[in-house]
Formats: sequence, structure tokens, C-alpha cells
Amino acid sequence: MKSKEDINQSDKKMDRPNVASNAPTVADTQEMTEQQKLQHQLQIFQNSLPKVSQTAYMMLLNECVPLSMAVERKRGDCNSKLDRNCDDEVSQAGEQLQKIHVSPPLDPPSHQLCRELYEADEEKHNRVLDRLRNIGFEIGNKITELLVFSNNPNLQFKDMDLLSVMKFICRDVWRQMFNKQIDNLKTNHRGTFYLFDYDYQPIQSFALDSESSEKELQMVKPFLEIAVGVIKGVLASIGHAPEDVICLASYVDRPDEKPKASFTKGVSFHVQITM
Amino acid sequence: MSAPAQSKSLKAIGEDTWKNKTEKVNAELFTLTYGAIVSQLCADYDRDFQKVNNHLFSMGYNIGVRLVEDFLARTALPRCENMVKTSEMISKCAFKIFLNMTPQVTNWSSEKDAFSLMLDENPLSDFVELPMDAMKQLWYSNVLSGVLKGALEMVQLDCDVWFVSDILKGDPQTELRIKLNKVLKDEVPIGED
Repeated sequence: MKSKEDINQSDKKMDRPNVASNAPTVADTQEMTEQQKLQHQLQIFQNSLPKVSQTAYMMLLNECVPLSMAVERKRGDCNSKLDRNCDDEVSQAGEQLQKIHVSPPLDPPSHQLCRELYEADEEKHNRVLDRLRNIGFEIGNKITELLVFSNNPNLQFKDMDLLSVMKFICRDVWRQMFNKQIDNLKTNHRGTFYLFDYDYQPIQSFALDSESSEKELQMVKPFLEIAVGVIKGVLASIGHAPEDVICLASYVDRPDEKPKASFTKGVSFHVQITM
Repeated sequence: MSAPAQSKSLKAIGEDTWKNKTEKVNAELFTLTYGAIVSQLCADYDRDFQKVNNHLFSMGYNIGVRLVEDFLARTALPRCENMVKTSEMISKCAFKIFLNMTPQVTNWSSEKDAFSLMLDENPLSDFVELPMDAMKQLWYSNVLSGVLKGALEMVQLDCDVWFVSDILKGDPQTELRIKLNKVLKDEVPIGED
């Protein structure tokens, strides 16, 4: 097993399996057209399904971050009062409110919750990130089901090697969730993968320019955790137990040839699978 | 312009915006994502559904205050002169553009300050079935009440929004009630007069 530095150093030597297209090999041109036909049918099928707005979806997904902080806050409140009645009081007040149709008490606005998350101590911070990964894990788990039932030609249960699984995540899962594919996939063929998304959709609404401070970047970072959970969830549903998978998200520089995006950094998902 | 012509144009605006100016995702993905959020909340609060309801509402409120900006930027629609117009804009434009559905507007109060939206289809809860304990207390789609509350407040309409009934609870239909409390005055931010 290579150490982490080795992996980084050998970065350039790593393979770059082509995610974007199924380049036909000499041997099976005939088969590839069959594959392309299936791919085409899948696309038509996907287009025929009921849809909702992506803006609404992204807002729902991103709102999980402040929501998870709000939950942390409320649970902390109840614990610190050391008062078993705390729960009941809140519930009763809520029930009364419901009866006279007054709006329930609101959590603080999203930006304030995100700031609180940034300033929270490590333990709290980690609990919130865990909550986000849990939500992502559940989504990832179910997304496999969703894609299985759409007769996806890129997904089989038999003889699916790790690389095909990762390609499935890069192409199908990402396209389903973010309307785009992972830009670049690298692997050492020994269970280590780097998935690069230079325009990670959920954070494109945070317009940070090249001057953006380290602090601002750190405040946006929790928004990467749902995707971390999704990756682990998909892998779990295909038979790679969560304890055998490490997935970490970090910022990377965007390649110069990429047109300017509203968010200044790309994202790298480092996936390591023990087999 | 006569009233029917006006409402037809709202419908046309909604449909055109949905068809030509909206990026879309699979509705089932939306459903399962929302499901993951609700189930995480139920676990966090050990199935205290009243608290889950409140959090969903609050989450919706925080979405609504920002979603309305996107809505106004996309449609460039003018201010509504009364609640009847507001109700149509919500049903034929807002619901159409974001969730691709057009809930029926009904059950008007005699003062025309409260109405109901009947959600025959609901992309938040398609194929969802609640366990017995949740059926009694959980308002599964409560994020919608919050979204409407937040969005309406941003256009100076102080409203109460709540679910009256939900198919998931065994009711024959899903009814979302909106009641206007007062029209807020445009407030000039401090130091900007």
C-alpha cells in the first residue's frame, strides 16, 4: 500500500480513464453502437420523467447545511438545561401554536447559522458534518435504486469492477443530481480515486472571487459534505461497506483553460476503498 | 384587460418560463432527497414530530425568502393588487415554475383574505407512506408552508400558512391554507431615507 504522499507524487502517472465518452476499441465497434443505442434510449427515458426546477432542488440541498446547524443548536440547548421538561415544553408550545394557526418559531436565518457553524468548536462542527453526510448517504443509497430501475446500461450487478462503479458515479449519479458530469477521474488502480469537479453545482451560487479569503472558503466547505455522503451511499448500495471507504472533499485550483466560473475553486473528492 | 384574459396570461407566463427558462432535475430525485432530510430530522429528534414540523417550516422559510428573488428575476411580474391575484400567481406561476404543478385555488373566506391550495399531486411526497406514529403528528410536506410564508413576507404580505389536511395522514385530499394577516409597509432600511 502506498503512503499518501506517494499517491500525491504519483498523481501525474495515474490513469485518467475517460469519463465523458465511450471511445470504441478496435475489437468491439459493433458492441459499442449497441451500447450507444442503449445510452440513447436511457436519455429519452430520462427526459420523459416528471421534472422539477433545478433551482428549487439546489436550494433544498444547500439548505441542509444551516438546517443541520439549527438542529445542533436546539439539541444543545435542551441538553445544557439539564431539564427533562425542556423537550415537553417546546412540544406543548408547538402544539398550541398549531391549534391557533400561528406560525411556529423560526430558526435564525441561514447565513447566521452558517457563521455559527464556522465558529463552532470541533466537536460540534463534526457532528453537523456527520449529519450532512448521513443525509447524503441516504440519498446515494436511493439514487442507485432510482438508476437501476431506469435500465441504465452502465450499471450491472454482475462483474462490475471498481472502475466501472466509479465511472457510474462520475457520469450517471453526478448527471442525475447536478446536471453535469465529474470533469476528471484519476486512479492508481489500487482502490484510490480522485474525482475532480471544477464547477461543483451547489456552490456556484456563492460568488467568491479570486480575492476570497481562506475564511470564506472554509465557510463554504460544509456544502461539499452531502456529496461525500452521496458517494459513500452509492458505494454502500453496490456492496462497499461504509467502513471500507474513505471519502474526503477538498478544494483544488481550476485548470487555466476552463472558462471562468462564479466560484473560484474546483472540488476534489478523494475516495479510497479497502478491498 | 378582462379578468379571464389576465389569468390566462399568468398561466402562459408560468408555462413558458417552465418550458424555456428553467433547468430541470428528475422529480423522483427531489422526492428522495426530501425524504432523506425528513428521516434525518425524525432520527435527530427521536420521533418528536412536532419539532420536526417546526424545523421543516423554518427550513422552508429560509428557502422562501431567497426563492422569491429568483422567481421575480425570472418572471419580472408586477405586484399583485389583491389576494385573488396573489393566489393565481402562486398557483399558476410559482408552483408551475418550481414544481411543475398547478394546485387548484379554492375555499375562499368571505373577506377574500384566505384561501386553500389543493395539492392533487405533490412531488415532495410521491410514493411516501408514513408509519403509524408519524401519521398522527407529522406534517410531512411542511417545508412548503415555510417556503410560502417566507416568500410572501418578502413581498410585504404577512400571512399564516399551514396544512389543513394531508393524504399521507389518511385524509381524502391535501389542503394547504394561506391567510393574510396584514400587508406590511415598505420599510426604508435604517440610514437610507
